[in-house]
Formats: sequence, structure tokens, C-alpha cells
Amino acid sequence: MNSVTTMPATTHETCVPVDLEYLSEGLDELGIGLLAFDQNERLTYGNQSAVDMVALDNADSDDQPHLVQMADVFGSSLSSAVEGVRQNGSQSVRHGLHCSNRHGRHMLIDLSCLPFRGVNNDPCVICLLHDVRQHHQFSDDTKFLRQELQILTDVAAALSSSSELVQILKVILTGATAAQGLGFNRAFLFLYQQDTNELIGHMALGPVSAEEAGNIWKDLDAMRLSLEELLEDNQSDTGERLDAITDLITDFRVRLDDESAIGRACHDSSWLNLAISDDTDNLTSAFAQQLNTDKLALVPMVSKGHLMGLLAADNQITGRPISDEAVQLLQALANQAAVAMERARLYDNQLERSRELERINQLLAESQDQIIKIEKMSVIGELTSAITHELRNPLTVVGGFANLMLKSTLPDENREYLNIISSEIRRAETVLDQVLDFSRASKGENCPIDFSGLVKRSLDLLKGRLARRELPMFLSQASEPLTVFGNSDQLSHAVYQFLKLVAEELTPPGEAEVRTELRDGQALMLIKIRRPGHEREQVQRTLERIITQNRSSQRLTILVAGETIRYHGGNFGIACGDDSLPSLYIELPVMKERPGEPAHTGG
Amino acid sequence: MSPHILVVDDDDGIRVLYQTELAREGYRVTVVDSGRAALAAVSERQFAVIILDIDMPDMSGIEALTHLRKAGPETPVILNTAYSIYKQDFQSWLADAYVMKSSDLEPLKKKIKELIDPVEHKCQP
Repeated sequence: MNSVTTMPATTHETCVPVDLEYLSEGLDELGIGLLAFDQNERLTYGNQSAVDMVALDNADSDDQPHLVQMADVFGSSLSSAVEGVRQNGSQSVRHGLHCSNRHGRHMLIDLSCLPFRGVNNDPCVICLLHDVRQHHQFSDDTKFLRQELQILTDVAAALSSSSELVQILKVILTGATAAQGLGFNRAFLFLYQQDTNELIGHMALGPVSAEEAGNIWKDLDAMRLSLEELLEDNQSDTGERLDAITDLITDFRVRLDDESAIGRACHDSSWLNLAISDDTDNLTSAFAQQLNTDKLALVPMVSKGHLMGLLAADNQITGRPISDEAVQLLQALANQAAVAMERARLYDNQLERSRELERINQLLAESQDQIIKIEKMSVIGELTSAITHELRNPLTVVGGFANLMLKSTLPDENREYLNIISSEIRRAETVLDQVLDFSRASKGENCPIDFSGLVKRSLDLLKGRLARRELPMFLSQASEPLTVFGNSDQLSHAVYQFLKLVAEELTPPGEAEVRTELRDGQALMLIKIRRPGHEREQVQRTLERIITQNRSSQRLTILVAGETIRYHGGNFGIACGDDSLPSLYIELPVMKERPGEPAHTGG
Repeated sequence: MSPHILVVDDDDGIRVLYQTELAREGYRVTVVDSGRAALAAVSERQFAVIILDIDMPDMSGIEALTHLRKAGPETPVILNTAYSIYKQDFQSWLADAYVMKSSDLEPLKKKIKELIDPVEHKCQP
């Protein structure tokens, strides 16, 4: 309807100035209504926007409706504003007038009335009507979007400070359920297991009953926390609330297929605002049934095209409808969470690799120390070999001549001295034999060694000696491989010396049991001796005698054998066994066998 | 005529000791101080037994042993050294016996007797 045609011709001719009509066009473009009243408060002009706002065409049969006749639309506000202008001669403004026009349209009018003179200089009042309701609607939309942005920002900030999966999952659930966040009643997290193509219930947040909901939400309201504060609080909290609702989905598994709505949502990475009905597929229905709900939002969590899990949320307690906009926002939150989960996974992998590297470095450092020690031992062995050889000749000559002189006629006093010389030379030669044995052993290469095999061969060397003396020595080998690293000859020599010393201490009808075993990362050789009538204390004394070696001729033996064990990172001593008898033990660190490098048999 | 024994050792004391002791046992003894001198000696006369040290400066006893075997394969050689490790040297197996040096010369003298008169030795209980 054209405003001009609706106005009476007489009115138009007498009261409306030409420039007012021009002005009305511009106001129409802005959606602002224009009404003009003459001094008798009769309507003389109305533009199209004003006609639409008031719905003049339906109600007014009068050619020039009176101001009072518009009270059904504006109440007394319009009349009083016009009257104010007439009396004061100045502008009168009213903001936010709630009105309903004759078509029932609700309006929120900003009214501005001001004095005006027409072409014949008659005093008029014009009123500008601006329906600001649309403006308010726009403001509400802006506010809502700002809130959404704030929620996503707060959640993103919380996720960026979380590197552990549990923390990340709590942030997601809190963001979904907090009133300051998306405000869902309950949220459930399922993690995706690729090898079985299953979703597995992992964690949930929300009340388990209406009663609990009332209590929780009341408490939360009283705390007046921002979402940011709530997220921080929940990240470090492992409260009972989380556990109680989590029970609903613990161990609940959903095998995904493309036939079900839930399967397609995960496969297509698309959200669902789901209302369970008879048409809903069985898998999706069963899923909803598990959560005790029939209306729920489902959003897949996807990072770099890989499904990480599924977030489900509902309003089961309040029954509030779930809008698509809320589900879309939930999807935005799930997307952030998926990226954070992927980052956490990478972080965990990196951390694991870093720890492994640290462990390997430590192992290398330890191995290096051990190798250096063993190498030093080899050098010592070569040195002692050279010295021993140089000593051997003079000892042979001195001792030989002493023996030669003893065969001649000598005074008793000189004979006694020569006997002492001869005896001491023999002792020195025994020591040299032992040192030479050690130096010979030092020439071997360092390599992985089968410790049980080494013990067996050392024991085999003693078999003849033991058999002659009717002394049984039993061997019990460890079932698992015991690989140690070092110089096979040196270790064989040391182990042989220990076994030989034990054999020399044994007297019939005694017996010995030799056992190898793995204990606390150490390869152990345990020697237990038994003699009828020998109690624990006697056995203890015998073993102490062996390792302390009071006999001077054997002191060097135990010294060299013991140092050999220690240089290989091991130790020896007396241990209390499971039974009452103590054992003599040798322990050496077990090395990890590397592929393609079999342990040396030590033979 | 008593058996003639060649002692090869670079150590002066050992040579004197062996010469004295073996002479007391009734053997004729020639002593030399190197492998080369030993080869020269065997080229001039035949010995009943050669006692050969191993660790010598100009030519090792093991090397000398190889040459001595070629020169006179029938002459028994006793390797006599401070090192037991040479027992593992394959070439030392060319020797007829291996006796470690010791102030107790009885094992050496026993081995000499065995090699000079193996039949008599085998008859002994």
C-alpha cells in the first residue's frame, strides 16, 4: 500500500509539505515510520513504514483519524508525546515502547515527536517511529555468538595446558556439561579402538539422578565460577560424581558398522541430533538405552582424518530439547578435543622414546665403564706376564743352585739356610704360576658369554680331581639364558679357582652343589657344601676360610679371582640360602643379548 | 760314552745351572745362548737331547725348533720355558716334551732320561 494514496487528498493538499514526502522515502528505506498530525491532532500524513507498523488500512474508516484513535496501538504514549510537543514546542522522545499493532504484531518502538510547520505555515507535529525489536534480536544473536566464542576460547585455553589424556577428557566433559559452557545435563566419552573397530566407554560427567542434579547444580551456582575457573578446578579433581556416572559406560563396547546411525556418524565424521524412535536401528537404540536416554547429541572426535572417539550428550534430567546449534557447538568442542588428544598421544610417544633413549644412554655409559675396566685388566695381564717371565729365570737359577748345594756335603747350619731358600723359592714359583694363569686368561677378547656353560666347563675340569677324592659336586643350571659380558678366559679362570678352592676344602664324605640362576638382573653361581655332622656355623667358617684364604699360597689365587669378578662388574661373598646352610656366591651383571650376537660358550 | 745334551738359553744363570746339574748327572753338556748358535751346533755334531728355551731375542725357540726338526728330525727336543701359554702354540707340538722352568730340576731330568732311553723308561713300574 502506498502511503500517499491512503491519505485523504484534502489533507495532503493543506498540511503536507513537499519536502516531508521526500523525507518519507528515505525513512521508508530505513524502516522508520513517519506520522504527521495537524493542530487538531488529526493524522495528515503517514509513510509506508508507518502504515505497516500501525496497520492503518484495516482499522481506520475515517479519512483523517484522530490521534486518540491510535491509542489501541500506542496506548497514551503517542498522545502524551504529541501533546508535549504542542505545549512545549520542543522534541519529545520515548524509548522502548512495547506495542502491538492491529495485526497483532509486537513492536518495540522508539518514538520521537517534534514540531513542524507545513507549506502554509500551519503548525504540525511529526512523529518518527522506529521498531527496535529487530535491532534487539540482532544484539541477542551477537551475544549468543560471543558466548559460544568465549566457551570455545576457555576450552581451548584449558586444553592447551593439558598434556595428559585424562585431563583433556575432563576438560571436554566439563565444557559440555557446565552451565557456563554448553549446558548439557550429562556427557559421555567413548574412545575408539582401531584394531577392533570399537568404541569403548571411558569417562562421563553429570548427575545420576534428578535429586543429585539439584544438589550439584545448586552447589555450582553458589560457587559462581567462570567456565575458565571451573575447567581448572575439574582438571585436578577426581571426584565421585565423575566415577558414578562413568559406571554407566564402563566396559561398554560398541562395534561400529555402516548400517547404524552411530556407525555412519563416526565414519562420515558428522554430528547427530538423535531422537530414538521405532525407525532407529538396533545398534543406535542399544547405545541410547545403555545411557538411559532417548534424545541425545552424538559428535565424533576426529583428528587428521582419524577417528579418536565419540562424545555423547543429553538433557536427560531436565528434558530440555537439544537444538542443532548446541550440537554444532558440541562438535566444535569435540574437534578441539580430538586435536588435543592427538597431541597428548604424540607427547606420550615422545616422552616414552625420550625415556627409552635415556635408559639406553645409561646402559651404554655403564657398559663403557665395564669395558674400560676389563680393558685395563687385559693390560695388567700382559704386564704381569712380562714381569713374571723375567722373575722366573732368576728364581729357577737361585733355587736350582740351592738344591744343587743341598746335594753336596754341607754344615748343618748352611743346609738349614739352603732349605729355607729352596722352600721360599718354591712358594714364589707357585705365586708366579698363578699370576701366569691370570695373565694368560687376560689375552682373550671381550664378548657375550653363556655363564651357565662357563660354570659347567669349569666344573668339568675339576671332575678328575673330584672323582679321585670321591667328592661329588652336582650342577644345577638356570633354565633361562644367563649372558654376561667380558673376557671368557678371565672369567673361566676365576670361576675355576673358586670351584677348586671349594673342592680343596671338601673332605669325604662331603659333597657340593653348584647352581646357576638369574636373580635381580644378576647371573648367580651358588656353591653349597654339605658334610654329615657339619652345622651351619661350621659351613660358614669353611666358606669364610675359602674367601679370606689364610693359606698364603692361595691368597693370591682368591685375590686375582675376586678382582677378576669385580672388574667385570660383579661380586662374590657368602649368602644365606633359603635353607639353613650358607652358600658361596659369585654374581655378574646379565647383559641384554643383541640380535645376531650369540653368547660365547666360553669354551 | 755318555749322552751329549745341548742346552739353548739366553739366560746366563740358567745355562750355568743346567750345565752343572746335568754334568753331575753324568751327561756331556754343550750350552749356547741363541737359536742360531743351536743350529750351528747341531750342524757340527749330533746330540742325544736338545733343551730349548722359547723366549729368546734373535730367534724364538719355536722358530728354532722348526729348523732343528729339519736338520735332525730324530733328535728329541724339550721345550723349556717360563710360559705355559706356548703349550697352546700349534708349532710347539713339534717338540717331544714341554717342561716349565722351575728350581726343581727333577721333572726336567726325568724327561731327559725318558727321551734318551724310552725302552728302559717304559719298563719302569
